[in-house]
Amino acid sequence: MNIQHIMGVVDASFAARQSIEKALREIDRRALNAMVLVKRHGNALAGYGVVAQAFRERAATLKDSAAHLQESIAPLIEAYMRILQHQRFSDSFEQMLAHNADHEKHCPGLRSTQKKWQIIIVEEEAEAKAVLERLLEMVQLLQEGIEEQEYVVTNGRIEAALAESTGAPLMRVSREMGEAVRTVALAIRSYRHQLESLEHESSTHL
Amino acid sequence: MKAAPIFEAGSHRWWIIYDQDEHRVIDSNVYVIESNEQTIILDPGGFEIFPQVFAALVEAVPPSSLKAAFVSHQDPDIASSLPLWHACNEKMEWHIPKLWEGFIRHYGALDAPLQNIEDTGGSIIIGGRRLEFIPAHYLHSSANFHLYDPEAKILFSGDVGAALLPPGHDAWVDRRDKTGRAFAEHISKAKYFHERWMPSNAAKKNWIERVSQMDIQYLCPQHGAIYSGDNVKRFLDWFDKLTVGTAII
Ligand SMILES: [Fe+2]
Ligand SMILES: [Fe+2]
Repeated sequence: MNIQHIMGVVDASFAARQSIEKALREIDRRALNAMVLVKRHGNALAGYGVVAQAFRERAATLKDSAAHLQESIAPLIEAYMRILQHQRFSDSFEQMLAHNADHEKHCPGLRSTQKKWQIIIVEEEAEAKAVLERLLEMVQLLQEGIEEQEYVVTNGRIEAALAESTGAPLMRVSREMGEAVRTVALAIRSYRHQLESLEHESSTHL
Repeated sequence: MKAAPIFEAGSHRWWIIYDQDEHRVIDSNVYVIESNEQTIILDPGGFEIFPQVFAALVEAVPPSSLKAAFVSHQDPDIASSLPLWHACNEKMEWHIPKLWEGFIRHYGALDAPLQNIEDTGGSIIIGGRRLEFIPAHYLHSSANFHLYDPEAKILFSGDVGAALLPPGHDAWVDRRDKTGRAFAEHISKAKYFHERWMPSNAAKKNWIERVSQMDIQYLCPQHGAIYSGDNVKRFLDWFDKLTVGTAII
C-alpha cells in the first residue's frame, strides 16, 4: 500500500466531490429555471414542459446518489488507515527479527505474532478492496444517471427547435442544461479514474 | 466518528470530530481549524482511533491542507497517533510543550518535525490567522497549553471541561436551554474527571483569572461536549468552586 498515492487520491476525490456537488446544484437550478419558463408560456410549451419535468426529477435522483457516494468514501479511507496502522506493528516485529537472528531462538512467539499481523493486514486489504468495488458500482450508477440526463437534454433541444416560434429562449436554456450536465459528467469521470487507480494498485498487490 | 462544523466565517472554519466508535479507549474530541485552505488539528488523538479520525477529517478538509498539529500535553489519547499522521504527511509540524519533547518521540516518530512551545506560551499563524498558545500548566499535565482563536472567540481547553459521556453523545452542552438545567446535568459527568485528574487548586485559580479576561464564545474540551454562551461562564464559576486534587485523599 503506497500511502502517498492514497493521500493523492483522497485529495483529488475531495476536489472531485466538491465539483460534483456544485455541478449538481447548478443542474437543479437550471431545471427550476426551465420549469418557470414553461409555466410562464402556458400551453404553448407543453412539449418542453415534459422534458423540463423529467430533467428536474433526474436532477433529484442524481443528488440522492451523490449523497450515498459521500457516505461510502469514509469507510474506504478508514479501511486504508487501519492497514497503515497495523502495518506499523508488522514492520516493527519484522525489524526485530531481521536485526537479530537470536530473537527467533529465544522468543519464538515473535515470528508467530508477526505472521498474525500479516494475516490481519491481508484480510483488511481484501475488505478495503470490497469497499472500493462497492464504491465503483455506485459511481457507475451515477454515470448511468448522467447518461440518462444527457438524453433528456438532447430531447430538450429537439423540443426547443420545434417551439422556436413562441419566442421563449429555450435554445439557451437547453444549452445551459447541457453544459451543467457535461460538467458533472467530467467530474464523475475524473473521480472514477482516481478510484480505479487505487483498484489497480490493490489488485497488483494482492 | 463524525465531523460537525462549529464555526464558519468566510474562509475561517472550525469542526469537531466526535463520538468515537471504539469504546475500549477513552472517548475524545479532535478539533480542526481551517483558515484560507490551511489546516491545523488540535489534539489529534490516540493511535487506536486514528483511522476513524482521519476518515472523518477528510470529509471536512483535503489532507494536503494539513499544515500543523497542536498537542496540548503528552497523553496517549492526544499524541500517540503522531507516527500515523507523520506517515501520511511528513511536512506537518507538531507544536508541543517543550518539556515533553523526549517523551512524545517515544510514540514512534523520531524524525517528525516537532516545534517546542516554551512554558510562557506563544502563537502560530495558520492561513494568515494568529492562534495563541495559552499556558495551562498543571491542568492537568505539568506542561500544558490551550489554544485560543481570537477571531472566532473559541478556546480549545484540552482536558479542562472534560466530561465522560456515553456513546452517541451530542457535540454541545444543550445550547437552547436557558435555565442552566442542561448544564447542571452535564457537569455531573465532569465532576469526577476534574477532581481526580486536575492536581492543583493554585493552577486552577490562576487559569480562571486569566481566562475570565478573555472573550470566549465557545469553550471546547478534548472530552465531552462544547460549552457555549452562558454555559462558558457557568463552567468557569463551577470550576472555581470545585476543590481539585483530592478525589482519593
Ligand atoms: Fe490528559
Ligand atoms: Fe485527555
